[in-house]
Amino acid sequence: MGRDMTEDAFESIVATHHAEIHRYLVRATLRPGDADDLSQETFVRAYKAYRALPPDANVRAWLFTIATNLSRNHFRAEGRRRRAMAMAAVGATEQGPSWPEGEAIANQASARIDRLVSALPFKQRAAFTMRKVHELDYDTISQSLECSAESARAHVFQALRKIRQGLNDLDGVQTER
Amino acid sequence: MSEIPTCREVERDLVAVAAGEAEPAAAQGVERHVAICRECRDELGRYRVLEGMVTDLRRAPMPGVDPTLARAELESKLADIRSRLVTYGMFASPLGKILIARSELGVSMVRYIDSEASARSHMARLGGDEGIVEDEAVVEPLYRELLDYLSARDTRLRWPLDLRWAGSEFQRRVLEATSQLPYGAVASYGGIAKRIGAPESVRAVAQALRHNPLPIVIPCHRVVGSTGDLTGYAGTRIGLKEQLLSIEGVHVGGDTHRIDRNHMYVWIDPDKEYCVPSCGELSKMPLAKLTLFGSRAHAEALGLQPCQSCRPDLHPIPA
Repeated sequence: MGRDMTEDAFESIVATHHAEIHRYLVRATLRPGDADDLSQETFVRAYKAYRALPPDANVRAWLFTIATNLSRNHFRAEGRRRRAMAMAAVGATEQGPSWPEGEAIANQASARIDRLVSALPFKQRAAFTMRKVHELDYDTISQSLECSAESARAHVFQALRKIRQGLNDLDGVQTER
Repeated sequence: MSEIPTCREVERDLVAVAAGEAEPAAAQGVERHVAICRECRDELGRYRVLEGMVTDLRRAPMPGVDPTLARAELESKLADIRSRLVTYGMFASPLGKILIARSELGVSMVRYIDSEASARSHMARLGGDEGIVEDEAVVEPLYRELLDYLSARDTRLRWPLDLRWAGSEFQRRVLEATSQLPYGAVASYGGIAKRIGAPESVRAVAQALRHNPLPIVIPCHRVVGSTGDLTGYAGTRIGLKEQLLSIEGVHVGGDTHRIDRNHMYVWIDPDKEYCVPSCGELSKMPLAKLTLFGSRAHAEALGLQPCQSCRPDLHPIPA
């Protein structure tokens, strides 16, 4: 109890966090349409549970946890899609995220990384996105993924390793001493 | 000096160093290893480049991704949930423990309760997907107003009604007609039946009021049987009906649980005047046609004038 339940209080949470949670969900679910649905569901759930949230809770971390849970369930519920994902992972570098890349020439590097991220298994993809794109701490990531902080670090490490392997042209980078 | 870690041992720490997340000991291990291993030194450089590329993702636009529509749909979903959400609290009152519930639309439930625990599970069952939450603070203003009303400091509850728990259209009509009964007035079940244009449905009216979701607020305590018998209230709480009527200046015979129409002022809606009960043929008219008042003050508070024939102002009913 004790949370400010005036309209303004929750509206300002939506205003502050919706766009970021939506961006996260686009990467986590791989489809903007699913991100639309799940971002709404995230905030509807948050609204219903908000009152019971301790006053000192980190609202942003809490929203990421809800969003991550929803995406994981979303994938579990769509086993067929997950198998399709596994297929996609085989040809990692060839597969891209399903949102259009348009003329994002200036962001070619980002587009390439996103393509590699989209081929990662869910936990690695979610952990990587939360850590590297949204800069969440490992405690939040581990809570979201229901794993230890150590596993959360391992997921991010595995993700970086696979992305590094996917970027063959980095092989040319050499360090002079 | 401890041994220099191998390429395999150093791999994870290498990535951590590139990200600036390595523990000091791990960072030292990496430093010592890359001093002697060209391949891992290059790899560290590559991870640093990668780290920069990854950092760019934070700012990179996502073409074709637009949260605006999702946000607008969310706002309308939340507005819908808010309008359906019910909040309740439980309070002590001169009538015993009561539960008051409200939504954005208005007050939706008043309930006399015996135990908070069973009231909570009742509310949980009612809630379903709609959402019912307990929060005294949200309901407190209604409770304060109710206390003023019960101590006769105020004669009106100004709450808008949320009749979501009216069982049927018929019950809704009964409740709305009952809510029009003025403070300090008494009518009969037959009178309510007449008001809603269903004069034959006296029993159905009594049933509808038995399940009044908003006692006190919708003043079913002002409705009595055709003989003036209180008949019943909130199960077996007939004493509360007497208590509420007495707050409003209506005397009830303690032993009989009945109002005495021969000692009450009479009004026939929509006349502009009120009378003493012996005026003209009034005493022979069925209660269903009359509205009774325990005091002149409450009749006059409605703007009614004393009847020019029987002059209740000059010959008031003896107390």
